[in-house]
Amino acid sequence: MIRSLRSGLYLVLALLVISSLQLHAAGGGLFSKPKPLAVDAFPERPRPLIEWGDPFLGTGKVQKGFKVPTGATWNPSFMMYGSLRTAVQTYDAGDRRFSEWASRLELLGNLQLSATERFVVGFRPFDRLNQYSGYQFEPGSLRGWNDHFRATPHILFFEGEFGEIFPGLDKNDHLGLDYGLSVGRQPLRLQEGLILEDDSIDLVGITRNALLMGGASHLKVSSIFAWNEIEGANNIKDPGGKIVGLTSFMDFEKTTFEFDSLYALSPNQSDGVFIGLGAIRRFGLWNATLRGAFSQSTETEDARTGNGWVFFSQLSRDLPHSHDLVYFNSFWAIDQFSSASRAPDAGGPLGRMGILFSAVGLGHFASPLNNHTHNNLGAALGYQKFFGELKRTQLIIEAGGLTSTDDGSESAEALGVRFQKAFGRRHILITDVFGALQSDHQETWGLRGEWLIKF
Amino acid sequence: MTGLDVSAAPPESSGNAWDAHAKLFKDSPFPSAAACATCHQSHYEEWSVSQHAYAQLSPVFNAMQAKVTQLTSGTNGDFCIRCHTQTGMAMGEETFMSVMDRHPVSQEGITCITCHRMEESYGKISGRFAIRQGGLDAPINGPTGPSELQRALSDPNYRLGDKDSPASREVHGDIKPFFQMTTSGFCGTCHDVTLPNGFRLEEAFSQFKNSPAAHRGESCQDCHMGTDPGVKSPYRLEPAAIVGGMPTKPRKRTNHMFVGPDYSIVHPGIFPHSPQAKEMASMREWLEFDHEAGWGTEAFEDNLPSDTEFPSRWKTPDDRFDARKIINQQVALLEKAKEQRLQLLKRGYQLGDLTIKRASKRGLDFEVEVRNGSDGHNVPTGFDAERVVFLRVTITDADGKVLMQSGDLDPDGDLRDSHSEFVRNGDLPLDKQLFSLQSKFLTTNVRGSEREQVLAVNHSVDPLPFIRPEPFSSILTGRPNGLRIHRRGIPPNGSRTARYKVSRRQISETPPYKIRIQLIAGMVPVNLVKEIQSVGFDFNMSAAQVASNIVDGHMILWDKTFKTGETSDRLTVDLNTLPDHPRASKTSTANHDG
Repeated sequence: MIRSLRSGLYLVLALLVISSLQLHAAGGGLFSKPKPLAVDAFPERPRPLIEWGDPFLGTGKVQKGFKVPTGATWNPSFMMYGSLRTAVQTYDAGDRRFSEWASRLELLGNLQLSATERFVVGFRPFDRLNQYSGYQFEPGSLRGWNDHFRATPHILFFEGEFGEIFPGLDKNDHLGLDYGLSVGRQPLRLQEGLILEDDSIDLVGITRNALLMGGASHLKVSSIFAWNEIEGANNIKDPGGKIVGLTSFMDFEKTTFEFDSLYALSPNQSDGVFIGLGAIRRFGLWNATLRGAFSQSTETEDARTGNGWVFFSQLSRDLPHSHDLVYFNSFWAIDQFSSASRAPDAGGPLGRMGILFSAVGLGHFASPLNNHTHNNLGAALGYQKFFGELKRTQLIIEAGGLTSTDDGSESAEALGVRFQKAFGRRHILITDVFGALQSDHQETWGLRGEWLIKF
Repeated sequence: MTGLDVSAAPPESSGNAWDAHAKLFKDSPFPSAAACATCHQSHYEEWSVSQHAYAQLSPVFNAMQAKVTQLTSGTNGDFCIRCHTQTGMAMGEETFMSVMDRHPVSQEGITCITCHRMEESYGKISGRFAIRQGGLDAPINGPTGPSELQRALSDPNYRLGDKDSPASREVHGDIKPFFQMTTSGFCGTCHDVTLPNGFRLEEAFSQFKNSPAAHRGESCQDCHMGTDPGVKSPYRLEPAAIVGGMPTKPRKRTNHMFVGPDYSIVHPGIFPHSPQAKEMASMREWLEFDHEAGWGTEAFEDNLPSDTEFPSRWKTPDDRFDARKIINQQVALLEKAKEQRLQLLKRGYQLGDLTIKRASKRGLDFEVEVRNGSDGHNVPTGFDAERVVFLRVTITDADGKVLMQSGDLDPDGDLRDSHSEFVRNGDLPLDKQLFSLQSKFLTTNVRGSEREQVLAVNHSVDPLPFIRPEPFSSILTGRPNGLRIHRRGIPPNGSRTARYKVSRRQISETPPYKIRIQLIAGMVPVNLVKEIQSVGFDFNMSAAQVASNIVDGHMILWDKTFKTGETSDRLTVDLNTLPDHPRASKTSTANHDG
């Protein structure tokens, strides 16, 4: 297996060299002769499943709308859209093999009242609590149909801007009343999922955008209060848990900073403080992101809240004569860093490390490498190859590994390949294959094919 | 002999074109700006050369919106173009077609009735609003209401609105008071652009709302529709209309030229809008008129070889002379707009003094401050991810040899930044000292940070980018998944410092040296042209021609030169600027020895 991993690394390096030797044809210069407008090849607007009112980004007359008592003009329109993912996949965990057909349907309803005000409702009828509907082939003990139907919405929220809802309060636009408001059940992700990743959390958030402070070109600040559907770092619901926090990002001349701080209150487990700081900038032709996050329980460390740090760096660049991408990510976790809330299917905080560190979010196909933070460090080297002008065919090759920094009890290496291709205006076929060698010399591997439809 | 090859264009005689044109106007649900010009001639002239009037003619815009829609599998729909031609979209026109085939009112882009027939106050609706349909006699909106119209209607000398009288002039039936027209929020209807997925493309109005200017009680109109572009200035007091030679009562008169960072790159027979030009020839015929070769000038016509052939529309010398007169008027109007644009941009971007941090025979370190002269919004603002504003710093020796340069252009006409194809491919070095205020589109990579993109479409995380409303609160997150803008503009009243280091190796030539610092503003980068060229440019323009015209339009806002001296042990710099260089009409592609 190690030999195969090394071979994989050599393959990644070879592809990098080949790409760097590509001829100028990949980029091309400015056309010196006029080119007829490519009107015939122009794609038509793909309609959502349902549209009521003005068609979504469709041509034609826009309805006048009506005044509401607050003084705002609303022109309601509704659309239903979403995606269907269905996959056949095998995941061999060494001691157990999962082979299955699993599906995930996400239906979203968007009731747009005006440009800034809208209600969103979302259903995932085929999955519930990280269990997906479909058919289980292996293991034999689980063979049969899986039915995890869910009728309750996983998303139901309203968002809008105070100044737009009550325009009469500031007729001359001098008061800066554009306070953003979002309330209800909604997904939220902070620090690329390090300190919070939840696809369904009940919260209210108030946001100010485009603020002027400290010479920044842009500053956004939000305060949030979450009161329900909160899970701990162990992905298990924390009944009665609450989170208050402040999130922000600032653009300066060269660097963007993201700063998030959260306080989680738990009636049954430990409260905790969670802080994340990210810096994103380019160094020449290199793209870089560095994040540091910290968690500290205010009482006794437990499964809900651990004490620790994690540092996460990301580096990438385009290769010459192409938009192909090479990336190198690494992390270092000190003690047991934990997130403030992680959805049941969100896994650990290291999903952004690499495709080998994240689960596919469908069925039992787990992440090839552990994505939890507990006295460990690791890295991933990847290469994304784009084919064609529209980049609709892609190949991603990634090699990664991690090891414990305390007792050496955990170490793993893996190689993964993803091939994905878009068809028409709505369809994508995705193929994943990986092989991994875990610390106990156990080999794991996986193979899957997915059909994704957008509507 | 013709300037452009328009052989692909269908043959059209101007007479037929004009007849067809007239019929289209007659059948139109919206009146043309040309109809408004009958009584509002000075408003029309200002508008005709404005960016509003250019909005739908721009070949860069047309190709860009088409490319984005192509890359998003059609899901971008009419998002971009809805704002650029409200009337065309309301009439159900295709989103991608030649502007030459659009309805004449649609060709006018943001025409008079786009603003003056907005149905309601819609707030920050990113340009997607209802406009009232109807002929010229349908009601329009105005900031003050109908009192002066009613007076004119009751005065028989104006001869207005009597449908039974053949001598009577057609006029709008009513003027509905629309207070919002005087507010910044009215501009914010379009100049605060958020996509349905929450991508905050433009934030001019949002920035304004948090600015000192807003808190002081000023409005967008105060600086952009007054007498002096770029600064709060008094409004003129003039008649709003001149009806059959009779002026209406003087009142607050706003400037409708709306100058800004864009400029025309199309044939001057096509833009500015001109009823005379449209009557003379169709757009396709104008493309055949080679104004650069001097057609219609005495010098050209007097020295014409007898066997010279012309396109059928321009066969007769009289037509060419007439066309030349129109071209001269058009060019004069473009020059007028250019002067106002320069004034506006100089107010927004101010170049500070040179500060020497180190000057010795071992090298030279210096700084230059660039200030935002406005306190109403960032500079650049609006479509800031494609605005090219930069410093060009050139150090030359006594013989004029360039020793060091930053802010020079690559052979395509791009800055040597990460979007230059020459830099990306390793053919030219990155301009590490480049001072540029261009914001950047950033897309999140499948893994490995974010990268700058010319177009805001993310293929790395998804081979099939789809524009749909996000399932999360994009107000709370401030962005959609995988996409944002790194804003780099200077905030209101703020400043940025450009720092330069010149090594001993670079200055070890013949002293004294000259340090020339130019602050330059362009419309869009050439790399954008390259990115969108595959869908083709309108008016039968090649990508190279589009790029060349864009670079030709770069405007030098400030130009300062300093001279160094030398003592026995150190380099000295005279901080008094040398006399101004004659202002170059255009910038040139420079070398990159630095």
